[in-house]
Amino acid sequence: MAFSLNEIEAMGKRAARGAGLSWGLAEEAGKAARWLTARGLPGPEELVDILTRNDGKSYEELVPESVEGVWRARGGRLCPLVSGAALCDRAAEIAAGREIEFGPIARPLLLASYAAGAADLTGTAIELSWAGAVMIFTPEGVSIEGDLAALTARGADSVHCRRAKTAVGVSPLDTPSREVDAETWSRLNAFALRTFAPATEASRLAGAGAGLTDND
Amino acid sequence: MAVSYQSAERLPLRSPEAVMRLARLGSFHQCRLSFMRTLLRRMKRESWTFDRPVFEIDGKGVGVAVYSAHGPERSYSLICFAHDLPPEQRSDRVIAHAWDSTFTLFDGVPTADDIERLSWNVPKQEAGRVSDREISLSRANRSVRLFKHVVDSLARGDQPDSEQIEAVGYLMRTTAVYGSGKFGAADREAIADRPEFAGPFQPEMLSVYLTRTYTLDLVEHLARARAPQTAVPIDPALRRRFGVGNSTGLGLAPFIVNHPLLLNNWIAAREEALARIRALPRAGAAEADLFRAMLTRARVNAEQWRSEHSLQIQKLIMLKADLAHLEDHVAAGALDAEAPWNRLYEWAEARLSIEGQEQLVSLMLEPYGELVDDLADRMGADEGAAFRIDGAMPLERLQAIVEDVYGWALKTDWSSPDSLARVWYVSEEKLEPRLGERFEEPFEPYEQPLAPGRDAAAMYRDMVAWRGDRTVAAFLLRHPEHRHVARRSQITARFPYAEIRDNTISAALLPIDLLRCKLAFFGATHFDPRSDRWVRINMFQGAPFPHELAGSDADDWSYPPLPEAP
Repeated sequence: MAFSLNEIEAMGKRAARGAGLSWGLAEEAGKAARWLTARGLPGPEELVDILTRNDGKSYEELVPESVEGVWRARGGRLCPLVSGAALCDRAAEIAAGREIEFGPIARPLLLASYAAGAADLTGTAIELSWAGAVMIFTPEGVSIEGDLAALTARGADSVHCRRAKTAVGVSPLDTPSREVDAETWSRLNAFALRTFAPATEASRLAGAGAGLTDND
Repeated sequence: MAVSYQSAERLPLRSPEAVMRLARLGSFHQCRLSFMRTLLRRMKRESWTFDRPVFEIDGKGVGVAVYSAHGPERSYSLICFAHDLPPEQRSDRVIAHAWDSTFTLFDGVPTADDIERLSWNVPKQEAGRVSDREISLSRANRSVRLFKHVVDSLARGDQPDSEQIEAVGYLMRTTAVYGSGKFGAADREAIADRPEFAGPFQPEMLSVYLTRTYTLDLVEHLARARAPQTAVPIDPALRRRFGVGNSTGLGLAPFIVNHPLLLNNWIAAREEALARIRALPRAGAAEADLFRAMLTRARVNAEQWRSEHSLQIQKLIMLKADLAHLEDHVAAGALDAEAPWNRLYEWAEARLSIEGQEQLVSLMLEPYGELVDDLADRMGADEGAAFRIDGAMPLERLQAIVEDVYGWALKTDWSSPDSLARVWYVSEEKLEPRLGERFEEPFEPYEQPLAPGRDAAAMYRDMVAWRGDRTVAAFLLRHPEHRHVARRSQITARFPYAEIRDNTISAALLPIDLLRCKLAFFGATHFDPRSDRWVRINMFQGAPFPHELAGSDADDWSYPPLPEAP
């Protein structure tokens, strides 16, 4: 079924919140799914996989233990939604020449919108690379090298983020497809459902407060 | 004639601490910058034309109609599906499943195939799917008492009773108008570069404007179908007295909290307009005359404004007294002084209720279209532009922002149950936004982030206790729970009217204040609360119909006409 970008962002945010991310991180996760979809990349699919994989894990297991040296998570692979936010928060440092190296990380493609945000914030070209994939972000757009399999790898053992040495032309992308398969959508919805209060008769009557007849 | 514009620099805008209080936002009135008015001014200026390519509705009121609006570059069509709704299914709530009429605003002029596709989806509303050829999705229910009275009268050959028209004001009320990519429709971003839709809510306002014509065509059609020998159309002057109702619950309240840039741009435009007028050294004779006329019309409007809600009844009593007081003051020569508008505003601040003050602000804009109408172009917003957090910001700076923006919240006792009494949540039932009692109902686990004051106070406590690196980035890495309000704080530091500076979860909260702020910017009149969280309004009452737009003033309808001389 075809979904609008707004629907994908809203669903992504709710699903991420339902999976246990803080509201602020969930807002950025919704943007991440939207950003990928708008560029013809499988945003909802990437997102639902990371949420499923990390379901039940605490933030402390997913966050970089230290942001000095190589970033590593205590509990295995880094979460790109957590590391992406931390990356974008360090946009000025990256623009000034700092290179960030991520150790083992899941779904590296999900870092893209955060790196794009860092490029927007600082007005510089920023490069993100892992095995078989190089993405360069500028405030004007993104250029992508690598085949879909490399871009959508389930994990990468090492990802680098640095100021791009050369600004490159922005490559045109495929026409964005907004088709999301029913299974992906229903899995996202299962996470989102956790954020909705069960319907009760009392809530139906009081919570919205209409209360009066509408046949007037 | 050009109005000389003197810089407003020497007059600062009203402070966000004063403006962004719920009691004031909940007293806003429509003004020149309201979205219905900007839409009609544009369509008039650009000589839009209108037609009705389809009207296939039977004598029972079931069928389809299409209303098209043709602008300089593009056309849009409201596709209306008319249904036969059993009374027991008639509900204004979002949890309803059937309606008297359902609508979509189509990008272009639909073919028979488009209408066929949409006929399977639009009547189902949230349970159907539309495509990026559709821009909005909406529905409306009849005002049973007025609808029946009007059809009965017209069928008999009589005009409907004007008292009954004034008592309700509309034949149908919309109960939701969805835009911005909802249920598969076109994303706002996909149409925001069209000049006609650059302003906020322009497609939604166009949809409601065409809906109004449909409701009047429908009653005339039904009367004719019932009694072809005797039926008459509505007298054109009486016809204008019908607007479109709207019935709105809590859904709008989260919207203005979740769109801080947009809120800022709306408020900032109106505040800038006020400052420009207060800076004028004198009031010209024509402007003063126009103001006096609008003041009288505002009094007529207040007299016609009906509500059964005790809070609104109180506010209306004060508003009427304020307007009388204001008329006396103006009659005594208030506009003859130097800097008359600034003096008038300061006089009102000291003597009128907030409801009266905000009515005055809206009225002061009326004579000065040439001075303020350009501000309507600044009211759109790209929320994405301020979304990313500035992690390099020193923590001391974020603390100072919180002290400035959320000073009220740092002084609030958050251990008091009254400060935290409410909880905003979303029901799984059609995702209806609701408001619960935190300490009496089990909804806290589902709380939505709609209490920025409380959250900012909590973040402030943790910032004070923080012993790590003194950057926002370092702090948020260990406190992800504060990312949401850190973002809001940084946005509000740049856009001072982005945040409501009041407690949105207190026991004293009146959600209708949030609703009214947004609806006033739409251009709504006659706010009629049904409870503390539900309000009915009237839209486009008095406005010229599409076929009248070319030959009449497109922007002289928001207040009722002057009473005729005896």
